[in-house]
Amino acid sequence: MIAYLLNLATLATVFGILAASLNLLIGYAGIFSIAHAVFFGIGAYTGAQLAILFIPDVLLACLAGGVLAGALSLCLALPALRVRGEYFVAASLGLQMMAVTLFSEAHSLTGGHGGLVGIPMPTLFGIDISEPATFLVFCLLVLGGVLLAIRMLMRGSFGRALMAIRDSESAAEAFGKDVPRLKTLAVGLGCTLAGVAGALFAFYMAFVNVESFTLEQSILVMAMVIIGGTATLAGPLVGVLLLLLLPAALSFLPFIPPTQIGAVQQLIYGGAMTLLMIFRPAGLAGQSTGRR
Amino acid sequence: MLFLQLLFNGIQTGAIYALTAAGFALIFGATRIFHVAHGASFALAGYAFLMCSQAGLPWPVGCLAALAVAVAFGLGMDAFIYRPIQRHEGSFFTVFVAAFGMTIVVQSLIEIGFGRGFAVVPSALTMAKEVMPGLYLANIFWVAVGVAVVLFAIVGLFLERTRAGIGLRALSENPELLRAYGLSSRKLSALAFGLGSALTVPGAVLTAVTSGLQPAISAQVMLISLASAVVGGIGSLRGAALAGLLLGVVENLVISVLDTQWSSAAGFVVLFIFILFKPSGLFGQAVTR
Repeated sequence: MIAYLLNLATLATVFGILAASLNLLIGYAGIFSIAHAVFFGIGAYTGAQLAILFIPDVLLACLAGGVLAGALSLCLALPALRVRGEYFVAASLGLQMMAVTLFSEAHSLTGGHGGLVGIPMPTLFGIDISEPATFLVFCLLVLGGVLLAIRMLMRGSFGRALMAIRDSESAAEAFGKDVPRLKTLAVGLGCTLAGVAGALFAFYMAFVNVESFTLEQSILVMAMVIIGGTATLAGPLVGVLLLLLLPAALSFLPFIPPTQIGAVQQLIYGGAMTLLMIFRPAGLAGQSTGRR
Repeated sequence: MLFLQLLFNGIQTGAIYALTAAGFALIFGATRIFHVAHGASFALAGYAFLMCSQAGLPWPVGCLAALAVAVAFGLGMDAFIYRPIQRHEGSFFTVFVAAFGMTIVVQSLIEIGFGRGFAVVPSALTMAKEVMPGLYLANIFWVAVGVAVVLFAIVGLFLERTRAGIGLRALSENPELLRAYGLSSRKLSALAFGLGSALTVPGAVLTAVTSGLQPAISAQVMLISLASAVVGGIGSLRGAALAGLLLGVVENLVISVLDTQWSSAAGFVVLFIFILFKPSGLFGQAVTR
């Protein structure tokens, strides 16, 4: 039971980092990306390959995963600079679909559908941290660092400029904000953090394949951010806890056949997304009155 | 010959895409609502048809049932989801997320009701015959193309000639002026949702008898409609139809060069390129930012 709880907590922490990084895009910058699982995946594959081929150091893996995801985030920043709203959502969907095909077809890099197996136990500066509790502590530290960084950045001029762009791009531009640069930075930062989460995820699972980086995953993360509350620090965490505990809790209910749990869970979170948008668009942790 | 075979397959797929995308474009053009639950209408129509044919009912009854379900779902989305949201806020993303949520709900309900697997309605029309050496066509090909052509003619005439059709076009241009003329924008937007959702029915029925239905089809159809609408120029019916056809053909022709796994990605590569280089689409007005 303790092992199970530790497992759940580690998964929640990894997803907390992922949701917080998406919140940077959706909540603060107003860039509604549905391709976040792509960068999560890039981080995971990078971390996994690094660990398998060279050295299973968590910090190095996080760094490599983050850097590569951040660099490739240009694929997302490019459409974000060109178009807004519906068009950008469509572009990120396109990116997501292309990436899934790439992930499952580029066998030499990703192992295809079979994925990458046999990721070694994580170490930190040569010290073994594969013990579940130790690894959880490490993940929690990363999450703490990420949240602190987001909080400081969003309180500073960078965050205020981003939110100004979100609320009115032309007004921000008129005030002399360098909109393309800020947007590119925001996308880069969000995707870098997603890459970091991906590298941790690879060590946690000790196995990665394309199933974890599909459109469904992107939507799940989006649902976490939205149900929890966008543009708040606590919101994504609330969303993560709800959406990860839900399947765990559902499996204890006797009257749902185990094969249907996935569907019932989807039903609940889909319904929750719709109802929230009608009655409480700012999310559970958001301000109760609409900000607009 | 393979090329020709794939081209014809592409036209058949494209005809289905074109009709569905035209419905999406019609709704978006008239109401400015990005109706991502359009794929759910498609899925519901398909499974309604499936249920009827499994119950042994004749196919026209099945089509009518599919029509009723799709139209009811479209009207319901308009009345119970989009309208309440637009009353208090109506930001694009709020509408998008709500509609997305409903798509997930429909998909999981179908999964609970029918299981995850493929379901096909057997039909004599799908028996392929060798038309030319190496080229196999089933009668369903002509049905798909014929239905698409006839329906596009009817919808075109409706929008050009009838009062309601002109009202729909006016709604997309200037809703305020429309209200000033004493027309009800509410009724017209309901009309757009009804008509747009009805356009998913032929595609859904044809898919049910050819490649088969599965719960995830609502997401696929949504992606295709979205891609076609953007490539064609958002709001342009003609553009969406043409782009739907184009995507269908591209998806199939890609198979002649690459593995089949790449076929669905090809459509999204087209979409991505269009958004980067010509976001206004084939027939749209300039809309960058």
